Amino acid sequence: MKLKPSDLLLAFALLSVHGAAQPPNTKAEVIPITSTIPEAEDIQKVIAPLAAEIKATFDLPLVQAPQGLFRGRRGEENLLGYWVSDVMRQTAQGVIGTPVRFAITNAGGLRSNLRPGQLKVADIFEMMPFENELVVVELTGAEVIQVLKEGLVRRGGEPCSGVKAVVEGTPEAATLTITWDDGSPIDPAATVKVATSDYLYGGGDSIPTLKKGRKPFTTGITLRQMLLDQCSSIAKAKADLVPPKPGRYTIPVPVQAAIRDKTFKL
Amino acid sequence: MERRDFLASLGAAVVASQVPLRATGDPAAATASGRITLLHTNDTHSRIEPFGPGNGAISGLGGIARRATLVRQLRQQLGSVLLLDAGDTFQGTPYFNRYKGRLDYQLMRMVGYDAGTLGNHDFDNGVGMLVEAMESMEQLKHANPPFPFVNCNFDCKGAPALNQRVRPYVVRTFPGIRVGITGVGVAFAGLVAPKNHEGITWRDPYESLKPIVKRLREVEKVDLVVVLSHLGYNLHGSAPDDLQMPGQVAGIDAIIGGHSHTFLEAPTKVPQAKGETLVFQVGFGGVNLGRLDFAMARGVIKAASGVAMPVLG
Repeated sequence: MKLKPSDLLLAFALLSVHGAAQPPNTKAEVIPITSTIPEAEDIQKVIAPLAAEIKATFDLPLVQAPQGLFRGRRGEENLLGYWVSDVMRQTAQGVIGTPVRFAITNAGGLRSNLRPGQLKVADIFEMMPFENELVVVELTGAEVIQVLKEGLVRRGGEPCSGVKAVVEGTPEAATLTITWDDGSPIDPAATVKVATSDYLYGGGDSIPTLKKGRKPFTTGITLRQMLLDQCSSIAKAKADLVPPKPGRYTIPVPVQAAIRDKTFKL
Repeated sequence: MERRDFLASLGAAVVASQVPLRATGDPAAATASGRITLLHTNDTHSRIEPFGPGNGAISGLGGIARRATLVRQLRQQLGSVLLLDAGDTFQGTPYFNRYKGRLDYQLMRMVGYDAGTLGNHDFDNGVGMLVEAMESMEQLKHANPPFPFVNCNFDCKGAPALNQRVRPYVVRTFPGIRVGITGVGVAFAGLVAPKNHEGITWRDPYESLKPIVKRLREVEKVDLVVVLSHLGYNLHGSAPDDLQMPGQVAGIDAIIGGHSHTFLEAPTKVPQAKGETLVFQVGFGGVNLGRLDFAMARGVIKAASGVAMPVLG
């Protein structure tokens, strides 16, 4: 190894710092990344054309949604989630070619509302950023009821399609009535096709019974692509995207409060 | 020998004659005298650009191009700097949907990251796509070297392409100080679809860390042990987390955390069998950069908090 004088000089310069009797100043801090920090040019040069590319794709108009679709505030029904689960059921049915009786997704996976007006591709990406896939499984009627109960107790009801759930009474003495959406009773022993996401089927979030789903069929269609396609076909039919009607979950206010406080049991 | 290593060894030899040996008489540890700044992010979630308006308190904050400027300035001022990330680089903006994480990792290399670990969302497109993103970062033509991924509780034997890219730990040497960096990840159950972590088995993070920390101390003779953790700050006993880790695994100096998107204003000091561990986490989305300084003085690590922590091992 050859030593250059500059190496030695540097070494001594370092020593003069580290050999000092005073320990060097030390710090622990959170540094906010604010607009006062200039952007590094080399990084910005990479980002700028990609940002333009994304903007071009994402600014493409999709469909008019004059009322918008909203997840709902506390005590309101999740009409956005109802729409998503309706499209899941309809798409799944088209893929497997037999009736799909029930669909359920998770409210937590819908990351934003669809605001009223012209929807763009970016709005769907923002609302559904995940690559989750549409999956069809088989459940018994009893398991469908259990799935609904789990979502109800934990989150006040996860968005679903094909059923109606009515809670009556008080938080201490509540009764739950679940029927198919036409009002007919659910046969606990019957086997039905159910559409959901691979995330929920994999045991994600608040509905563990979905894991029991049998004969899973992975469609290969992401929920996002499914929604983008649905918006396109509505626009092609020169129609507007309108939210489904409420009425899938009927829950008295005191029961809603008990669900929020995590004191509600069914 | 690299110039940096040369300086380190020369520095250590001369300093050793000036400072008294530690009580334990371990010459390897006693000779060290240096300082290191850890800069860190977690859960950046493909936030390439700053948050736009309408995002409450974090509106207008973040952006990787600004982060680059800040990191480079600090590096120039401080010299001995490690830039680290605690996982969940992926998922959250159209940049991820379009560029599948390749852009995130490539930009991280350009900014000058030294190591990162894997979060649950980094598996969102499956192992194959994760490896592709890593590969694209390795193949980038840039003066900065590719950065390694550290994790010690994912058994990746069933996914060879990932296995060769994820190391149990790395060691970095600076003038007068050796730093060991390892990482741990959260359990897949309920977070990552089984097909997206095919070939990878999750193991208990505490049990996985114990032999790694021991090896870093006793064999690698590091002065400072840093864990990049994607377990979450506080899970109230329901699963392994950053606050419990120091009590379960002795000998960790700093836990740089993620997963829970916790905004801490200062590191939390957690007692452990051999002193204290600093637990830190700085929110999410690249809104903040965390900074933790450690200085070696007379053979003991002095943390930014001013609390002296004995060098272990």
